[in-house]
Order: sequence, then structure tokens, then C-alpha cells
Amino acid sequence: MKLINRYVTEVGKRLLVFQGREDIEKELRSTLEDMLEERAAKAGKPADEALEIELLKEYGSPDSVATTYNPHPYLIGPQLFPIFLKILKIVFFSITLGLTVVMAIQLATQTPLMGSDVTNLVGNWLSKLFSTAVAAFGYVVLTFAILERTVPDLGISKEDFEDQWEPASLVNEPEPDAVKRVDLIFEIVFTFIGLAIINGIFDIPIFSATFRQFVPWINTVFIIEILLDIYLLRKAVWDTATRVVKIVMETGTIVLAVIMLQTPNLLMIPSEALENIPETSSIGIEGFIQISNWSITIVLAFVLVMASVELIKAGIGLFRSYTRK
Amino acid sequence: MANTESLENVVLELRRGVIVLAALSQLSSEQYGYSLLKQLADQGLQVDQGTLYPLLRRLETQGLLESVWKLEEARPRRYYIISAEGKKALPKLKKEWAEIVSVMKNLLA
Repeated sequence: MKLINRYVTEVGKRLLVFQGREDIEKELRSTLEDMLEERAAKAGKPADEALEIELLKEYGSPDSVATTYNPHPYLIGPQLFPIFLKILKIVFFSITLGLTVVMAIQLATQTPLMGSDVTNLVGNWLSKLFSTAVAAFGYVVLTFAILERTVPDLGISKEDFEDQWEPASLVNEPEPDAVKRVDLIFEIVFTFIGLAIINGIFDIPIFSATFRQFVPWINTVFIIEILLDIYLLRKAVWDTATRVVKIVMETGTIVLAVIMLQTPNLLMIPSEALENIPETSSIGIEGFIQISNWSITIVLAFVLVMASVELIKAGIGLFRSYTRK
Repeated sequence: MANTESLENVVLELRRGVIVLAALSQLSSEQYGYSLLKQLADQGLQVDQGTLYPLLRRLETQGLLESVWKLEEARPRRYYIISAEGKKALPKLKKEWAEIVSVMKNLLA
């Protein structure tokens, strides 16, 4: 039985289930012992190592046995896969759009434009597009793999993300505290990508030292956001505690955005980019700096508006939950 | 079908669908996994261990089966039996099965 014990231990090591692992090992050992006993009786001799080897070979490798018990033989399950594809399309579209705008600005600032400049810019655009798309793909997959394993039953139906509206859905009174799961998943994925960008993982060296002072604060807000969203996905409904956390978090975001809006030079413009702008350029160095300042202002203003909307929604939700009681 | 392996996969898929019903139908009296496996095989339904044991666990999680550990011949064995919920589900599954058989008979005639 020595080999059976070792075999069971090997299967146990490969099990990804947290509950009932001992039960599985115990049942597997008991079954193998039954099978061995039966084989020995058939062979008319006591069970020996040769019989054990024969039995274990037929039963299959520890990997294959463990796989049959593991609850997630896939990285992203069928329930989340359609929304994963949808988010991936949005992410790829945004990356392509963003990098194309950057290339267009570079083209506009390079006058006179030489043929080799265009080739270089397009080449850079392609390589940046490829590396950013691969990195973003990895982050989206990672986020979904985490969601797949942290939220047991997402309860997402096809209609949730296919914009299929049925008049019959009006018959049921909407649950006021119910969370919108698809919205939460979108939020988690984009916050996750935001975390990666802010922390320089995508190799986009655009943030200045001034901006980097805010990174720990932004990270804190983003991490609280992701944790809160995962918790809400698991719980499926808002309650007082989650609404209070949301209000505190959105207030923090607003304060942070306002402070950042008043802080100049958040974006770093590489000196080589400035050197490349010829004096004859229609935009010029100052214009270039102004464009970058405007773009960060637009992003921060957008964050400010979104956080204010979320804050108001959470506040109204909290107020209504008390007036309903 | 292009090759034997693909055909085998289709056969496996076909069988997999009926194992739940087969297992539930045989567990009106308690049995441990290996005895159920042999009983099904004796009646002509060969089921792979790697399919049956995880399936029994899943049915227990779904509340259709109950299980209890017993010590027999100095060996612990996990005995499974159909639960009250399983007893309610079984006639519905049998009816569904009868309908599938009837439809398939017509289709394949």
C-alpha cells in the first residue's frame, strides 16, 4: 500500500479545492485499496508492488485524477467569457485610438515631414501597439481569472450584457439595493488597467515626478475600489456599510482630483520630444506643453464628474434605504 | 466524423449526460463509490472513476445526494444515498429521459 499512499498524496498536492480535500484523498485511497484487493483475489496472490504499479498506471496520472476534481479546469469560465470578450474589444479599441492620437500629434509637430520620419513613427506606433495590447490582454485575463475564482456564482445571464430589453422585465419591481454586476465587472477591469498604467507597468513614461507623489493615494483609492467591487459581486446587494465605504472612497477621489487639477506639470514631456519639435512647427513647444496639460485636465475633470455622480448615487441609495425602513 | 478520437469524445459526451440519472436511480439504497461503479458496469454502463467520483461530490453539493463515512473491514468508505430533494427530482428526470428517448426514436427511425 506504500505506493497507493504516495499516489494519493501526489493527487492531494494537485487538488485546487480548499474544502473537502481530505475527504477526496480518503475516498480515493479507499477505492484504490478495494480495487487492489479485487485484483489480488483474481490473481490468486497477495497484493504486491507489481499489482499496485499496474493498478495506478491504469487509474491515471495524479495530474489527470486531480483535474477531474478541480472546479475550474478553465481560466475564464463560460459565464464570464462573453463579457471578457466585450471588455477586451473596448480595451483594444481604446489602446489603438490613444496611440493613433499620439502618433497624429507627433506627425503634426514634425514639419517639414520627411519620408523616413513617417516610417519611424508608423514603426514605433506598431511596436507600441503590439506591446501595449499584449500587456493589456494579460491584465484583462488576470482580472477575469481572479474574478472567476473569488466570486462563486456571478448570476450573470446573457441578457445582462447583450442589451436585450424585454417589456416583460417591467412586471417585476426592480430591487433597489441590487448591484449591477456587469457594471461592477467593467469597473474592476478598468480600475485594474488604471493601476497598471499609473504604476508604470505599461512602459508609458508620461508621468512627471510631481504626478508620482500622488501615486500612493491613487493606488489606495483604486485598491479599495477593486476590493469593494469584488465584495459587492459576492454579496449582490448594497447595504449601509458598503454605501458608506463607497461615499468615503468617492469623496477621497474628488479631493484627490481637485488637488491634482490645481497642481501644474503632472505630465512629463521627454526632452527629446521637445528637441524634435522644429521652430517651424505649427504647434511649437508651448503648444505641445499646453496640449499635454489640457489632456490631463480633461481626464481629471472626467474623473471628478464620474466620482461626483457615484457619490450622489451612493448618498441617494443610503438615504432611500433609511426612508424605506 | 474525421477520426476515431473525435468519435470517442462524442460517445463520452453522450454517456456523460445520462450518468446523473443512472447514479440517482441506483442510490435508493446506500452504496459507496466503487460498489456503484461496479453495479453500473454489471448492468452495461461503463463509467470512468474520474467521472463518477467528482459527479457524486457535485450531486451532494447540489443537495441531490447525502453521504456518510462508515468503517468497514478496517477500511473507511463513503456511502452515498439519494436525499429527499433527490427523490423529488428523480421522477422529473425520468420523465425528461422518457421524452428524449421517444423523440430520438422518431428522429433515428
